[in-house]
Amino acid sequence: MENKIETQTVTMAHGAGGKQTSELIDKVFAAHFANPDLTADDAAVLVPPVGKMAVSTDGFIVSPAFFPGGNIGKLSICGTVNDLACMGAKPLYLTCAFVIEEGFPMEKLEEIAAAMEKTAKEAGVRIVSGDTKVAGKGQVDGVFITTTGMGQIEDGVKVGGELAQPGDAIIVTGDVGRHGCTILLAREDFGIEADVTSDCAPLWHTVEEVMHATHDLHVIRDATRGGVGTVLYEIAGQSNVGIRLDAEKVPVAPEVKGVCGMLGLEPLYLACEGRMVIMAPKAEAEKIVEALHKCPYSQNAAIIGEVTAEQPGKVVMTTEIGTQALLPQPGGELLPRIC
Amino acid sequence: MCVGLSAKVVKISNGTAVVDAGGAKREVSSQLLENLEPGDYVMVHAGVAIAKITDEDESETDQLMEELL
Amino acid sequence: MEEQKKRTAREIIENYDGPSVRIMEVCGTHTHEIFRLGIRKLLPKQVELISGPGCPVCVTPVSFIDEAIYLALEKNVTICTFGDLVRVPGSQMSLAGAREKGAKIHIVYSPADAEKYAKEHPEEQVTFLSVGFETTTPAGCLSVKQAKEDGISNYSLLVANKTMPGAYEALKGSADVFLYPGHVNAITGTELCEQLTEEGVSGVVAGFTAKELLTALAVALVRFQEGKPFFVNCYPRVVTREGSREAQRLVDELMEGCDSEWRGLGIIPGSGMQLREEWEAFDARKKYNMPKIEGKANPACRCGDVLQGKCKPSDCKVFGKVCTPQHPVGACMVSGEGACSAYFMYDTRG
Repeated sequence: MENKIETQTVTMAHGAGGKQTSELIDKVFAAHFANPDLTADDAAVLVPPVGKMAVSTDGFIVSPAFFPGGNIGKLSICGTVNDLACMGAKPLYLTCAFVIEEGFPMEKLEEIAAAMEKTAKEAGVRIVSGDTKVAGKGQVDGVFITTTGMGQIEDGVKVGGELAQPGDAIIVTGDVGRHGCTILLAREDFGIEADVTSDCAPLWHTVEEVMHATHDLHVIRDATRGGVGTVLYEIAGQSNVGIRLDAEKVPVAPEVKGVCGMLGLEPLYLACEGRMVIMAPKAEAEKIVEALHKCPYSQNAAIIGEVTAEQPGKVVMTTEIGTQALLPQPGGELLPRIC
Repeated sequence: MCVGLSAKVVKISNGTAVVDAGGAKREVSSQLLENLEPGDYVMVHAGVAIAKITDEDESETDQLMEELL
Repeated sequence: MEEQKKRTAREIIENYDGPSVRIMEVCGTHTHEIFRLGIRKLLPKQVELISGPGCPVCVTPVSFIDEAIYLALEKNVTICTFGDLVRVPGSQMSLAGAREKGAKIHIVYSPADAEKYAKEHPEEQVTFLSVGFETTTPAGCLSVKQAKEDGISNYSLLVANKTMPGAYEALKGSADVFLYPGHVNAITGTELCEQLTEEGVSGVVAGFTAKELLTALAVALVRFQEGKPFFVNCYPRVVTREGSREAQRLVDELMEGCDSEWRGLGIIPGSGMQLREEWEAFDARKKYNMPKIEGKANPACRCGDVLQGKCKPSDCKVFGKVCTPQHPVGACMVSGEGACSAYFMYDTRG
């Protein structure tokens, strides 16, 4: 058992920089993240990618830290890898910083590190540098993780939120709102049970397949906080275009619909952690969807609307009765509506 | 004023019912309704089943239109 | 008439060529669904839809929020509430603002969950903010009965429940036809609506699906043209003539009518509810010796006029500028059901 750390919980000593800190790093983090580029020194020394590089950083706090379909560790890799992928960048390197609450169970930390290892491997990214701090009881909620990713932009790829054009088809890579719904249920505040798991997934390989299918891509954006609805408004604003959405074509799992019905929430505003919105010329759309259907995390991919020149900055839905209604612009804390 | 949700009763016990809406389940009070049975549909508001209903609006509206004209 | 038989509800609405008519959707959920479904776009010019006062959050006076904040901050009470109320501005701050100052604000789906929370946290004093109309009041009453059965003494209600009949009286002249709130009628039945026709007030009970709303509007338009006061229950799958006797009996056991302040409409006699004396142990106002709190609403806010259909949200000076869903000045901007919020989110500015 010499590879296992002996203490059952994380203590202030694990963050003090001494023997216990090295032990924590060696036996938990290094044991899981081991790769030729992982540094034991002050900084990782790396070979820069050829051509352009994408860099992205993201902080992760999620309560609860463990939820059906993942945990904060998996999330912290997916979030950053997906941000890189959205720029058409192949994820190469990742750094991670932990802030851990005193008393956090060591076993849980192991589990988080193991999830990070597995997800990083799947995404083909190497964790090259890390940092650990321990905060006093109550100063953080369990564990917070910040990851920074570096990726190589494949030659000839140029996508961005400002590049949507009238005539583009809008594709979503799977059913929406799962992650947000899962977290809502996992908090057990509303006594609702449903068989919903988070969509949390690393999507670089999915993007890679889409780029193999066509190079004619305008926008790739992952729909995280605020959901697909927020992303569509962001892009409508950035590209100064209008967006037409067909309400009935947006894939939503029946359970997610049921939960939203009970709480008066709109699935389009619930967070996703493994869903992307893709905009590309209509002629390419079928090819893209076909490629997506062959990937493990996008079997429900669907064309949900189109980009237009009308009503720039607005997202308009074709409703179930065929009328046009503006999708309300999301904002503020998502509060269940009952009365 | 009152978000209502039609849901199917899947379990009944002692003043409470478990209802199911598209796979989302929740325990609600069934104290306002008599003779509720699994398989019935109810209108749920704020955790209380307020009315026993039929689950589809089709025949209801058809009949209203019929009477209207 | 033969010709008409084939027409759908939607065709009747789109081709309405009768006299101009003001239809008030009393219920906030109707307001919300009508916007979400784009139904206003189907209406000919002479049909005007007015958003009425049927959103409990919107008619809840500023002083109620102040009372809740007083309990939370001064009496250290854990406040359980529907999510709808969290952003409603009080005189000084909203419940969300109080939460920033350390107040414990717990959002629940049902009053039953608030009672359960109290049972599981005997070391805390817990108050549920009991707002809502006839549909919601029974849920609050059930939670009080449960608390009594569980023998817990750390649970109470801050009651601001309201009843609709007084409001219909107050709003009588504001519209030609009322779209009655289906879920209120599920509890109260439809006798009152029938009586109102005798006073010349017309209306239809409407459901909430696209089909039900379109049908109710079509029925309202056809009947309006006939020129006589009318009432039609267009939501028979949920609403019966007698309503829910059990709910009526329950509420009557625990609560009694009282005068009540409606934001914008002022005090409407007999339009509020309060716990009966036998149940005063569960009445937060009595339990905590609530001082008289005079709420101060923002004077520029025209929520009151909006609620009475006297002006459109976009006629209000602060609408969409100072007052937005992120920074609401008046309650009608807070709730997703509020007329101002619906106008703002669905962009019918100006």
